[in-house]
Amino acid sequence: MTAPAARTRTHQEAGHDPAAGPPVVSFTSVDKSFGTVRAVAGLSLALHAGETVALLGPNGAGKSTALDLLLGLKNPDRGTVTVFGTSPARAIAAGRVGAMLQSGGLMEEVTVRELVSLACDLHPRAHPVDQVLAAADLTAIGDRKVDKLSGGQEQRVRFAMATAGANDLIVLDEPTTGMDVGARQAFWSTMRAQVDQGRTVLFATHYLEEADAVADRVLVLHRGRLIADGTAAEIKARAGARRITFDLDEAEGPVDEAALRALPHVVGLDVTGPTVRIRSDDADATVHALYGLGLYPHHLEVAGLGLEQAFLAITDAATAEEAEK
Amino acid sequence: MKTLIRLEITRTLRNRKFMFLSVLYPAFLFLAIGLSYKKSDTVGGSGLSAVGYLMVAMAAFGAMTSVLMGNAERIARERHKGWVRQLRLTALPGRGYVAAKVAAAATVSLPSIVVVLVLGAAVESVRMAAWQWVSIAASIWAGSMVFAALGVAIGYMSSAEVARPLSMLFYFGLAILGGLWVPIYSFPHWLQTLADYLPARPYADLGQTIELGQAPHTRDVAVLVVYLALFAGAAAWLYRKDTRKA
Repeated sequence: MTAPAARTRTHQEAGHDPAAGPPVVSFTSVDKSFGTVRAVAGLSLALHAGETVALLGPNGAGKSTALDLLLGLKNPDRGTVTVFGTSPARAIAAGRVGAMLQSGGLMEEVTVRELVSLACDLHPRAHPVDQVLAAADLTAIGDRKVDKLSGGQEQRVRFAMATAGANDLIVLDEPTTGMDVGARQAFWSTMRAQVDQGRTVLFATHYLEEADAVADRVLVLHRGRLIADGTAAEIKARAGARRITFDLDEAEGPVDEAALRALPHVVGLDVTGPTVRIRSDDADATVHALYGLGLYPHHLEVAGLGLEQAFLAITDAATAEEAEK
Repeated sequence: MKTLIRLEITRTLRNRKFMFLSVLYPAFLFLAIGLSYKKSDTVGGSGLSAVGYLMVAMAAFGAMTSVLMGNAERIARERHKGWVRQLRLTALPGRGYVAAKVAAAATVSLPSIVVVLVLGAAVESVRMAAWQWVSIAASIWAGSMVFAALGVAIGYMSSAEVARPLSMLFYFGLAILGGLWVPIYSFPHWLQTLADYLPARPYADLGQTIELGQAPHTRDVAVLVVYLALFAGAAAWLYRKDTRKA
């Protein structure tokens, strides 16, 4: 099996000191299949203390499976997963890991406060209940029944359960799903407080912006493989191109595709009626030259690639690398 | 762990519909059937009055209702909703969840037993020595653990949709075959013999033997212990299996 991940930057290069201690989380050649689907394939990685790591990938990339393996909810078919040098189950029993899963349900017919009290009671190194409620911004709705919460409030309860005690590692699976923009910002500011206390945080997301704003290391999963590992800026640079979209005046005749394709730094072109979409690895230069052609583009937009396209760009590169070997 | 047990009990008590069903349903059945009996009716030449037989049968039935139906459906639903998964991310040992469920079920089954016995004394004029009342309640309560374990096993065996019909099947099947609704003595002989080796008949027989002033039969106790081991073993095995694929 070829591993493009091995060709990306290693962890040490990303500015971390490998002598700082044993890895918080370690995957060694981990495989996990469901029937014929290889959800996780040959995954090896190490997380170190104090890192904030985003696990990025489209739906079906294997993020949730990887987190389940990390938390001992699933066992690998091959390979080993250790957390703080021991099995995931032991690390959890020792109260070192807090986790918030999308698939995690909540107990019904109890109040928010009762449920959070339960989480604190079960944690070997629990924080006071009031402190946990306050940190998750739940104090005001402590007496509300869990069944009556909105999606965002439910997420905050899950967050409270994940931070009920002094965990050294916090694992979050798409934590801001169902939150509006304000709640999302509030959530991450709470999360930063956890990071500032020296915790290691691993979160799965499919929002590139979120990974960009919060994480100091980004892991990209695609079809169960780790295809990139670096800082957010490096991942975006690898995803490369930006997209330029504009309309041309139909009165001026059909769009001259050859001329557009000849513009500098164009790596992709798509023309639909009057609408032109250009992928460029230097948008400034391309747009400058576009005006140079004497065209008058309407509704001009320059944007970063969507995550989906960024993945295509990265995976194309990964596939090409594989083909070379 | 203590908080979990307390919460499980609290929320069961808060569930009025369920409390109503498991406490009042057997009591209602007892009154409805019992009032049609004559005082002098006896069953099976055992010397037991028909009303006395029915009282213990209905107390046993009530206890079965709350522990079996309550556990099976709730566990299946909570597995489905991911609460069991969430609990596995805490330091709670795996058996803690099951222990709390059984404790909660036992909290509801006790009032359903007591209500039937009180109605037996107050409305149906059943008379016994004080020790008999206490031992009957205690033996039915203790015996309900067998069905609590069965409920846990069903909860881990089935999806949320299947848990209710499946537990109904077990519950009515076992209750009828155990002679909880219709006195066992009206069954054909072969069915009576079979019933002796199914869990509900020995369960009711514990209390009915005490009504006659005797100690429970060794065979009844042995059969129940075997079923308890069987159901608890199945529950534990299913729990581990579920854990692997959760």
